[in-house]
Amino acid sequence: MFPWSFLPGVLILTAPAQPTSVPPQQDPLMSLMLSQPKVEITTNVTAVASFDPPVVSPGEQTIYRVTFNALEETIDWPKKLNAPSELQTEPGAHGQIIPMLGAVQVPYTSFNTRVRASTTGDFTMPEFKVQAYGSEVTVPAAELKVISTPPSPPSPILHLAIEFAETNLFVGQPTRVRAILPGSAGVFSQGLPPVQFTGQGVLVDQAASSQMVTVTSHDGMNMPSYTFQTVLTPIEAGNLSVFAQCFTGNRFTGSLVITGPAMIPAPPPPFTLLESAPVSLTVRPLPKEGVLPGFTGGIGIFRLEPPKLGTNELVVGEPVKLAVAVRCDANVARLVSPNPPRAREWQILDSTPGGGITQSTPTDTVSTFQYTLVPLTDEIRETPAIPFSYFDPVRGNYVDLTIPPVPVTVHAGEIPADFSTLVKTNGAFRDEDEPVLSGLAASSGWTGTLLPLQTSPWFPVVQVIPAGAFLGLWIWDRRRRYFEQHPDVLLRRRARRALHREWPALRRAARDKDAPRFAGAAVSAMRVACAPHYPAEPRALVGSDIVQVLGSNGQSEVVRRFFTVSDAAHFAATRTDTSGLLTLQPELEKVLQQLESRL
Amino acid sequence: MKFALLLLGLWALDIGHRSLHAASPADLFRDGTTAYRSSDYSTAIKAFRQSANLQPASGTLQDLGLAEWHRGHAGAAILSWEQSLWLEPFNTAARGNLRYARKVAQLEGPELTWYEVVSTWLPANWWAWIAGISFWSTVAMVMLPGILRQPKAAWHQAVAALGLTVFLLSIPAHVGVHTRARIGFVQQKDTPLRLTPTGEAQFVTRLAAGEPARLERQRGNYVLIRTSRSAGWVERDQFALICLRP
Repeated sequence: MFPWSFLPGVLILTAPAQPTSVPPQQDPLMSLMLSQPKVEITTNVTAVASFDPPVVSPGEQTIYRVTFNALEETIDWPKKLNAPSELQTEPGAHGQIIPMLGAVQVPYTSFNTRVRASTTGDFTMPEFKVQAYGSEVTVPAAELKVISTPPSPPSPILHLAIEFAETNLFVGQPTRVRAILPGSAGVFSQGLPPVQFTGQGVLVDQAASSQMVTVTSHDGMNMPSYTFQTVLTPIEAGNLSVFAQCFTGNRFTGSLVITGPAMIPAPPPPFTLLESAPVSLTVRPLPKEGVLPGFTGGIGIFRLEPPKLGTNELVVGEPVKLAVAVRCDANVARLVSPNPPRAREWQILDSTPGGGITQSTPTDTVSTFQYTLVPLTDEIRETPAIPFSYFDPVRGNYVDLTIPPVPVTVHAGEIPADFSTLVKTNGAFRDEDEPVLSGLAASSGWTGTLLPLQTSPWFPVVQVIPAGAFLGLWIWDRRRRYFEQHPDVLLRRRARRALHREWPALRRAARDKDAPRFAGAAVSAMRVACAPHYPAEPRALVGSDIVQVLGSNGQSEVVRRFFTVSDAAHFAATRTDTSGLLTLQPELEKVLQQLESRL
Repeated sequence: MKFALLLLGLWALDIGHRSLHAASPADLFRDGTTAYRSSDYSTAIKAFRQSANLQPASGTLQDLGLAEWHRGHAGAAILSWEQSLWLEPFNTAARGNLRYARKVAQLEGPELTWYEVVSTWLPANWWAWIAGISFWSTVAMVMLPGILRQPKAAWHQAVAALGLTVFLLSIPAHVGVHTRARIGFVQQKDTPLRLTPTGEAQFVTRLAAGEPARLERQRGNYVLIRTSRSAGWVERDQFALICLRP
């Protein structure tokens, strides 16, 4: 009985579940979108055109402003306006806001054109058509009065001013910029976008922006002024033009006089696009030379606070935090932390790779870099120095601000398996420096030729010089040794040479008919030619020696005659008969030829 | 008349001196440095190149490479730094720049044989002088004692042996210099490597600026080069040898 009483319940529990109608869950993103107020884009698009101010003097700038109640992206605004020739036009600011008006958001888009008139007169910017939402919208004509002395406006004109802390900058150097709108404390509605800074090649850090209302003095009057400030960074070298623009909120324009009870309906909000005069920035590139290790783009004056280590008592393999605070007087919104060095004894991780944690104070900015260090050996005595440097824009050079090492005591411990591999890897890469581009060479350095010397035509010629010198020396040495071994050859050669020297003197004496000189020269020549045969000193030879050399060839008489005359000339007291001596010249030459042939 | 001719001569001399002075390598080097520091790299390249043409120098070529690199001419920059090392292998700055450029551009250096590596230890032209001096020193030590009637001393033989050893050791380096003189670098980005030396030839591949290759031969306006990957023809002005003037 008892078990059966549970049967219906069991059947109910085991029966398949009946399909239930659960309401579908709405997509939260879709819910969020549906909860947003509607943007009014269906009504007729109208355009309002006006000059601000409508009355100016020649050369004074006025703004030709056209405002549409349409989204900016849908408006096809012409690049050049068909203005009268007396008006110089230049494109100005343009932008849109989408304020809440009742239950819907209504877009307002304004296009400003800076206009200056060259002469006085009444000018009309003619009516023209533009495309909005795919249909034509007529921009009405606008009147501008240019007179030499325009009247002062009944209410002060809102004028947006822009102020830069510096206008001579380096690429990447942040600078503080302020936009001031005097007497406008009440003109900004809640929810309106802040001031925008427009210009090519600049980067505006919206995260560093702030706004305030301060009392400032203008034309002797203290009035509240809206001030918007932020940090602007040029990212391009050259002359950059920057201006500020913003929309104003609800305000009344002109004077309002009410007599008696009356109800004034609220006018449509004239959201006015204001713009400042453009400011020119001179931006120079950072110098390529002298870049120090650890430069991560920091420009300004930096100071390093002592690095803080989590603990100085470390254990191998256990991580420790290293925090380094860097103070900067510049408005650095984000400072990239330097890459930690690769060290064999450490595994270092950058905990803030995207940039240090930045905190701004009224006087400076503090960025804190955090590193996680893991000691891999107990031989360490200090943390590694981390290269860091910045660029000083005042001095125009890079300044080293290396994070100093911190003394530590490392106790032995177990190195995790992963870190064992790291130890080997770090060791392998220990000596491999990261290549960097060098600076300019201070001097032209070693000179030379790019063509190999071996291919230069003069190089073989230069080699011929020592070759020739050594060859000459060798030949000279061989000749010298030959003469040393055969001295008679040398004597004969010298005798022949001496004989050749005597012959001209002989002939000269014969030509001069000088018989004594002729006889002396003949004897000398015969002695010289015969000397190698004995050998003897030529002057020691006598006529018989010559005759002996000549042999019996019938010339002995000629020889004796000459020797007789010569001896008589030297030793006799009386003059010798020399007649007929000159006639013996042919016989003498024959004798000398015979003697020469025997040398 | 003579006075006028004298004035004319002095004027011509002055003009000649000025033109000579303006074109001196030192002045051009200074002009290039000034232009480089003001980021006018085109002018710097012009000045450094003229200076290097007049007098090839290691520092000038190093700076020329830097200017070319900043102008985005990786091929010309690598060639200039290689030429700087050709003149002065001890120029660590040029060596570092080559490492940097090859790392950034993902390029490899030329593959060198052992005797080419030996030839890089000293400036290329030093080997010629070393070989010449060592050879003639050996010859002198062998010949001169006999000629000068001096007994052959031990130091004569030692110097001769040393000279001969140095001469023999310098021969591989000589060969290395000779073969390295055929190494060049592609100058233009995406240079087509052609199968035949014609304008309508099929492209084998495209070479990056700064890629090393060896010159095989020339035909008309084309040169046959061999890279580590393949061989083919490129236009003559798209390839430059180390040992040519910049």
